Amino acid sequence: MDKVLILVEAKGDELRKVSLELLSEGLRLAEGGRFSSEALFLGKLPGKVKEKILHYTEKLVHVTDPVLENYTAEGHALALAGYARKSGAKMILSGATQSARDFLPRVAVLLQAGIASDVTGANWLENPMTFIRPMYGGRVLSEVTFPAYPAIVTVRPNHFGLGAPLATKGEFTEFQAGIISEQLKTSVIQKEETARDKVDLTEADRIVAGGRGLKAAENFKIIEDLAELIGATVGATRSVVDAKWRDQADQIGKSGKTVSPNLYIGAGISGAIHHIMGMDTSKVVLAINSDPNAIIFKYANYGIVGDLFETLPAMTEELKKRLGK
Amino acid sequence: MDFALTEEQGFFKKIVADTVDRLVVPKAREIDEKDEFPWELWREFAGLGYLGLRYPEEIGGMNADPVTAMIFYEQIARGSVGFAQSVIMNALMGTNFIYRFGTEEIKKRCLYPAMRGEKISTMCFTEDQSGSDLAATRTRAVKEGKEWVINGTKMWITNGAIADVTTVLATTDPSQGVKGLNFFLIEKGTPGFAPGQVLDKLGCRGTGTGELVFDNVRIPEENLLGTEVNKGAEYLAEILDEVRAMTGAMALGIAQAAYDEGLEYARKRLAFGKTIGSYQLIRAKFADMATEMEASRLLVYYSAWRIKEKLPCRKEAAMAKMFATETCLKVVDEVTRIWGANAFAREYNPQRHFRDARFLLYGGGTHEIIKDFLGRMIIGKS
Amino acid sequence: MNIIVLIKQIPDSEALVTISEDGAMLNIEQKFAMNLFDEYALEEALRIKEKHRGKVKAITLGSGKAVEALRTGIAMGADEAMLLEDEVFLDGDGYATAFVLSKAIAKEPFDIILCGRQAIDDDRGEVGQMVAQLLGLPHVGSIVKLDIADGAAVAEVAVESGKEVVKVQLPAVFTAQKGLNEPRVPLIVGVMKAMKAQIPRVTAADLGLTAVQTGKQGSKVKVVKYSLPKKTSAVQFLSGEPREAAIEAVRILMDVERVI
Repeated sequence: MDKVLILVEAKGDELRKVSLELLSEGLRLAEGGRFSSEALFLGKLPGKVKEKILHYTEKLVHVTDPVLENYTAEGHALALAGYARKSGAKMILSGATQSARDFLPRVAVLLQAGIASDVTGANWLENPMTFIRPMYGGRVLSEVTFPAYPAIVTVRPNHFGLGAPLATKGEFTEFQAGIISEQLKTSVIQKEETARDKVDLTEADRIVAGGRGLKAAENFKIIEDLAELIGATVGATRSVVDAKWRDQADQIGKSGKTVSPNLYIGAGISGAIHHIMGMDTSKVVLAINSDPNAIIFKYANYGIVGDLFETLPAMTEELKKRLGK
Repeated sequence: MDFALTEEQGFFKKIVADTVDRLVVPKAREIDEKDEFPWELWREFAGLGYLGLRYPEEIGGMNADPVTAMIFYEQIARGSVGFAQSVIMNALMGTNFIYRFGTEEIKKRCLYPAMRGEKISTMCFTEDQSGSDLAATRTRAVKEGKEWVINGTKMWITNGAIADVTTVLATTDPSQGVKGLNFFLIEKGTPGFAPGQVLDKLGCRGTGTGELVFDNVRIPEENLLGTEVNKGAEYLAEILDEVRAMTGAMALGIAQAAYDEGLEYARKRLAFGKTIGSYQLIRAKFADMATEMEASRLLVYYSAWRIKEKLPCRKEAAMAKMFATETCLKVVDEVTRIWGANAFAREYNPQRHFRDARFLLYGGGTHEIIKDFLGRMIIGKS
Repeated sequence: MNIIVLIKQIPDSEALVTISEDGAMLNIEQKFAMNLFDEYALEEALRIKEKHRGKVKAITLGSGKAVEALRTGIAMGADEAMLLEDEVFLDGDGYATAFVLSKAIAKEPFDIILCGRQAIDDDRGEVGQMVAQLLGLPHVGSIVKLDIADGAAVAEVAVESGKEVVKVQLPAVFTAQKGLNEPRVPLIVGVMKAMKAQIPRVTAADLGLTAVQTGKQGSKVKVVKYSLPKKTSAVQFLSGEPREAAIEAVRILMDVERVI
């Protein structure tokens, strides 16, 4: 059986969603009989997280070296490589989180393993196994394979589905990689929680924009609420800026800013060409307008013909539920 | 025949294009709308050192050959025509005669600061009644002892309103026609010299074009820019080809700016369920524009190459200026058709390119004059 | 202080990318630019040089055209440049590329190695870290601030919840993130120097490497084929009452499109 080692991570005292997705994938693979999977956690493990993981894996290994309490690429790489060698894992799987993408390439060198970063799909049962990863900002997909093992794959969040928990809890063991702080040349000297600066429109991954259909400046609150919830930047059309409901800095369009987010939600926007030219390279466009003939629907992937004053708050409510906030 | 830019020239083009995109393009609309000289941009751009590009490295220039200079002129015009006019006047016509004929003292006072953008220079020869007809120049220069006294009015002077350093074409004897012409250096602050009316132009706004008045302006004899008296027309002729090719390069830049806007619109604008770029008539427009722009490019850079190789270029440079200008006028017109009614709105760029392009008809010679002289050259005297 | 900057020349973000019939090859429009994140790395190297006195050397692995990126580096102020040019270096995965780079860097004096956090063509984000591991150096990834003092560096990394300040002993590798600095516009003196610069080329033989160790052959990940992402052209209307449509929209955005 091929062993798959799944690196799981926590955000505060919650298990990361992508880790749960990978654990679910691990369980699915184990069901098939060809693979066995094991979860690996580095550093301080909150009790709540440990509990959750144990319901989604047959075995959880906790690497407990004190140096791992604060993330350093060096330390985490040595720890993971150390355990991976010992466990004889064929594949190492991790969410493509900032830290995983940061230290796993080091692990790849330590294990002389191939690494496929930021994968969005996997063909586990093909021979050889192949993985899909986007390139050129998502404009091209490449299907890759490993000529040899072990191999490492980091997986983009939201691409593997969540599964059901196990009926019984998995086994828990601790492991000491034997790394001492004197070995490391990196140390964390300060951690600061700050409210992140508002992402500029031109760099935003997600945008919620409003047009004349909002009817009044104060109504932009429903746009702001939705944006806040999903970490999006607020945008506006030229007519809204002219009416002084929003700042010139919020304007999207040929005479405003050109944006290219992964997600663009436009509400109460007709879709005049000058606005379209400012946002048409958005990956996914959802338009909400009460007029079924609004031009914006011709440039959108998804459309809702309806009252934005009911639709947007309903979306916000549903998202709150789904995101557990 | 090697038509390619060298690797170094290709690199230069990329750097200048990037620089223009970063510094100039974002300000182009504001410069046009406010019609005010963009002092901050001028200082920022001058700080990069391009203003002295034609002059030797030893004095802080780049020793750029005419081909390399054309690359620069084209890119800066693509960014903002109003700004480009000020920049190019300062880099080429406004400093050329000072570089060639000025004393070291004059160079220290006028040329080097102009190369750094600390002083703004201009060349004046157009007058109310004389544009193409240089012989009709009325600005008069009279020698009195060790001084020249200049009287007259110049019109349509780029940078006129803000010029610190002017190269003025004046005649010592109107009856001698072109054989009485001379270039004189006159600096701001000289009694009797003042800027006059500033023109409210259709395009190339932001550059402060206007009238200059010379009322009994007294200047020392070293301010005669020339080794001999009355050689002004010859000196002007020596730079004429480069000025014409440069105008052609500006035409290329403006056409490219408009063309790029047209292309984006054609790819995105929908009509009857398809992008307008899917329709034959729109496609034909791009085929025509691209062909003529390619031909214009070859003529302009060929002329620049001939100037670089010191081959006679009177014919080619005039053709380049004329052809590139006519192409540009067609391109800016077509783009306003492709954009439909949206081209009629001041907030978008096509209308600015449309207005800016008109000046090309006048800079470097009107096409009527050019056609007459070309025809005469070809057919010969009868 | 010796600073090495790793630069990659990539296709311009507007360049058209198409796929061959059999999906085996990419056809890329020949318009190039320096990788954006490498510009931040280069700018930071120049600022360190200006503050602490030192030398900046830019290194690129690429085809002959990539020399333009190195010229840009010199125009901005890099003292030297080097192009690792050999057919066998091309089409490598992160490992093969990092391997060649590390061999070249090992022959140079260095205190600091800077590079962009990822190249926006391959989107791998691996090379900087691998170079560090191959050379036995620590690294700090995705830095937004860097201060050097007394043989050590203090770097700031922007993380989800805020920021982390990390101290690391030199020599070390740093990968640059957006927000680190604003790259300078080259002065004409720099442009002129760059135009005249003779940029040395280094081949596999110069580094004592063979085809098996580098490029495609030396890669640990192989591309089987390329494809285009699925794209629906017509808009999909979500029907029902606002509440129903809203719920469906959320489902699609989260579970189908995965943009939330």
